[in-house]
Amino acid sequence: MGDAFGAIRAVARAEVRVGWRATLLMGVVFGLVAGIVLGGVGLAGRTASAYPRLVEAVHLDDARTLVAADQPQLAAAVPSLPGVAQARTDEAWIAQLDGPALRFVSIGAPTTAHENLLDPVVVEGRAPARDAADEILLSESIAQSSGLGVGSIVTLRMLTLDQVSKFDVGFGPPAGPSTTVRVVGIGRMPAWGGALAPVQAGPAFAAKFLPDIIGYSIYVRLAADPDAAQRFGAAFARTAAVVDQISPSLISQYTQRTVELPSATVDPSVRAAEQVLVGGLVVFVVVLALGGLQVLGQSMVRHHGVRGGTQRVESALGMRASERAAARVLAAAGAAAVAGIVAGGVALAAGWLEPLGSQARFEPEPGFRPVWSLVLLGGIGTALVFSLVVAATAAIAGRRRATVVPSVRAAAINPLRRWPAALLGTRLAMHGRLGRGGVPAVATVIAASLAMAGVVAAISFGASLQRLVDTPARYGHAADLTIVDAREADIARLVADPRVAALDVGAAGTAELADGDQIEVTSRDVRKGRMPIAVAGGRMPTGPGEVAIGPRLASRLGLDVGDTLEVRRIQGGTVTLQIVGKAVITSQNHGGIGDGAVVAPDVMRQVAPGQPLYDATVLAVPGAADALFAELSRNLEVFQRDVPTAVANLADLVTLPELLALVLAVVAGSGLAHALLTSGRRHAREVAVLSVLGATPGQVRATLAVMAATTVLPALVVGVPLGLGAARVLWWQLATATGVAGDLAVPGRLLFVIVPAVLVAALLLSLAPAARAARTPPAVALATG
Amino acid sequence: MQVSASFEATARAVDAPLPDDVPDPSAVGPAAPPELVVRGLRKTYEAETAPVRALRGVDLTVGHGEFVALMGPSGSGKSTLLHLLAGLDRADEGSVTLAGVRTEELSGSRLARLRRRHVGLVFQFFHLIDHMSALENVALAALVAGARPAEATERARDLLDTLGLLEKQGERPAALSGGQRQRVAIARALANRPTLLLADEPTGALDSDGAAEVLDLFTRLHHDGQTILMVTHSADVAGGAQRIVRMRDGMLLGGGTDAFGEQP
Repeated sequence: MGDAFGAIRAVARAEVRVGWRATLLMGVVFGLVAGIVLGGVGLAGRTASAYPRLVEAVHLDDARTLVAADQPQLAAAVPSLPGVAQARTDEAWIAQLDGPALRFVSIGAPTTAHENLLDPVVVEGRAPARDAADEILLSESIAQSSGLGVGSIVTLRMLTLDQVSKFDVGFGPPAGPSTTVRVVGIGRMPAWGGALAPVQAGPAFAAKFLPDIIGYSIYVRLAADPDAAQRFGAAFARTAAVVDQISPSLISQYTQRTVELPSATVDPSVRAAEQVLVGGLVVFVVVLALGGLQVLGQSMVRHHGVRGGTQRVESALGMRASERAAARVLAAAGAAAVAGIVAGGVALAAGWLEPLGSQARFEPEPGFRPVWSLVLLGGIGTALVFSLVVAATAAIAGRRRATVVPSVRAAAINPLRRWPAALLGTRLAMHGRLGRGGVPAVATVIAASLAMAGVVAAISFGASLQRLVDTPARYGHAADLTIVDAREADIARLVADPRVAALDVGAAGTAELADGDQIEVTSRDVRKGRMPIAVAGGRMPTGPGEVAIGPRLASRLGLDVGDTLEVRRIQGGTVTLQIVGKAVITSQNHGGIGDGAVVAPDVMRQVAPGQPLYDATVLAVPGAADALFAELSRNLEVFQRDVPTAVANLADLVTLPELLALVLAVVAGSGLAHALLTSGRRHAREVAVLSVLGATPGQVRATLAVMAATTVLPALVVGVPLGLGAARVLWWQLATATGVAGDLAVPGRLLFVIVPAVLVAALLLSLAPAARAARTPPAVALATG
Repeated sequence: MQVSASFEATARAVDAPLPDDVPDPSAVGPAAPPELVVRGLRKTYEAETAPVRALRGVDLTVGHGEFVALMGPSGSGKSTLLHLLAGLDRADEGSVTLAGVRTEELSGSRLARLRRRHVGLVFQFFHLIDHMSALENVALAALVAGARPAEATERARDLLDTLGLLEKQGERPAALSGGQRQRVAIARALANRPTLLLADEPTGALDSDGAAEVLDLFTRLHHDGQTILMVTHSADVAGGAQRIVRMRDGMLLGGGTDAFGEQP
């Protein structure tokens, strides 16, 4: 055993002497890749856990309700209702917030101390002091939308209860007290809104403005039993009904007798965003991990393959395969340690990364938050994996023998291979493994093609995603403004307004298909200009008998352009509509994309019963949308363009494909660079033979250049179309699921640059082995090759 | 024996026109200058422990059409000398004059061109390219010298035919026997019709039959006027040469300038 250890140590020392630089380089590259993978895992965990951690950090209430100020007996009864373990009652106000944008906000302030029940995480500044009546804390969303921050001074003009009762019919200027307060903190909390006021003040504020409250926000910690929520809800409804009979509230229409359950009910958009983001990260991490392992494996096989003969000598001297592999693992121990340290370091640095996209707004501990277990175990695991790959590849290289290859047809030399560089370069590139213990050429080509396909697919997918996010028309939000229930006089005025580039009047209703399925139908009455509605295929309907359907509806019904759609008439019977296109339109009812159909106004009247909802959609000339909105919103119910949740979730991911493409390019590029840089060493004997035959240094350089080009050309020829195909399939699936157009944005210019850039890079890389070959006398190369 | 095929065929093969202006050996008369002249050649290799003085001042002359065997024990500097003569390495001191050209003054490119025109090399371990057929291995040498593909193919076929390997032209080296591989290597060395054939232990990796084949081939080439310098440590193999030069500790014993010195 001692002898075996001695032999292992001796071989390891020899391996370190001749190959420490290459092994160390591979250790660093693999460590970086593993670090990014570990960082990705940590980020996925931080993203996925942001919401539940915030829920825990703020001691989110289990149930909450809003009680009118004129029903104090109901508020007083809540803490003693069945199912309630703990209750906190805040006073509530509604005030006009003077600021860059005119808006109304609700204010909450407790009169008494409370413990471990609804404490916002203060991400900036501090909480209002208990004895300061002029300090407030804002929710992040209000701070962002109003442009206010810590230190801002704002005036709150409070509404009276009577004014609140007239909220929907107009109430004039605020008649309650006014006060000037200072923003001292920005708070983070899940489930802002409803009974939870986005402006929080302290007990001094509550005491000062107690006579002017409009209600009570009551937050409840439920008892531990499973039906506590049900018992509390039922009891609250019963009590409220009794109180309503005794003393009905002025604002009963705004105080629904329902109980919110914020801990149990998570906003679906939060869950959807979490799934999309974590899913995207997982794909990123898996692709990167597989790519890193593949590159390390091939590089190591090449590394050991160059000295495959050494292993045969060791074998002849009596060393077993396990001992030879152990010697190489020992030689690579330093590189493995470096890989582990680099991986751990990158994973540690990834602790600075906030949760991805929209989930960042739920992070309860912003800033540096490393996952120590991932750093330590990940680092150790990386070193172990590196060592395992070294052992496995050493075993593979040690097992290989020169293969007897079949005869080839003895034909004349292909005229295209007139140049010996072309003949030998292509042969060495395509048959590099024979007798040399290297990576099979086909494996290198497949790996390079897959890497290129991955890069191209990620770039194309990312470009399509970016185009979707940047082009509202592609998700059915072409208009800058939507005017609800627009009147003809207003429409006429807008049509004449030079700031309006396009104006459609739309009607929306529900139609029933012949099979009983109901779909939302819209019609567009073009009054000015041309609204840029995205058509995923075909065209918009221009007359009776034609319909354009949304991509998601088309997918659901299994229909395509050219098919027909049979819709029931209001008057009886059916009308057959020819599908002339796929239009990306947004539902006026639920905001879904691509679920409905567009028909001509005449068809709309035939198939949609009832009074349709009319709206006017306005596309402003560039730069005029905000002014137009400010002007119109004084008198009309106007909405600015918003981003649907599905698209917002995708927008959070928009940099991920680009990052994946970049990292894949670096990893695959490193592997390819290693393959090309070691090509000179692997083929030193053949290159020396070429010199023996009288090849000039230029011919040697040309041979290595042809070899490099032959290695990367198949990757380009196969990888680019394969990547575009994969991206097309992936994007089509995502687009169909989202309801947007499924045409891929091919980054033509980028691809046009990539192909020659990869070729040039390969040719430049071939200069290094060529220079080494020029420095090494053929006699030396033949003796050592 | 297949190798016993007429060397007229070899002559036909090597008579094929070459793209480079290679001097025709047949045109060289008895009064022609020596093919190879070596003067004061020294070479020292840096080693981990101490420098290794491989050559310590070698003088050697090989005339046109001579078949010289260079003998000596392992480590005597035979192979180093052969590599320096072929321009595969550079000497520290001294001069090598090949076909009237002093090689130490040539750039890498010019040395390569001189080598392709005047030198054919045969090694103990063949050094054929594994990824090419026998035909391609031979044709590659002609292609390097600038021959057209058709011409290189024809020349390679003729040489393989002459050496009895036409049936094996499509085989990769791994599928050939040692003797067959060495014959392919010799065909490759002859592809550009060199004025000097240098052979480094050409029979060292062959069995007795294979060695006899190769030696017979060399003898026939010599009879056809080929200048040959063969390194060997075998007295039997050296016995086929016209002259034997002995080497020890980086020096020639008794000098190497006497064209008719030691007879085998």
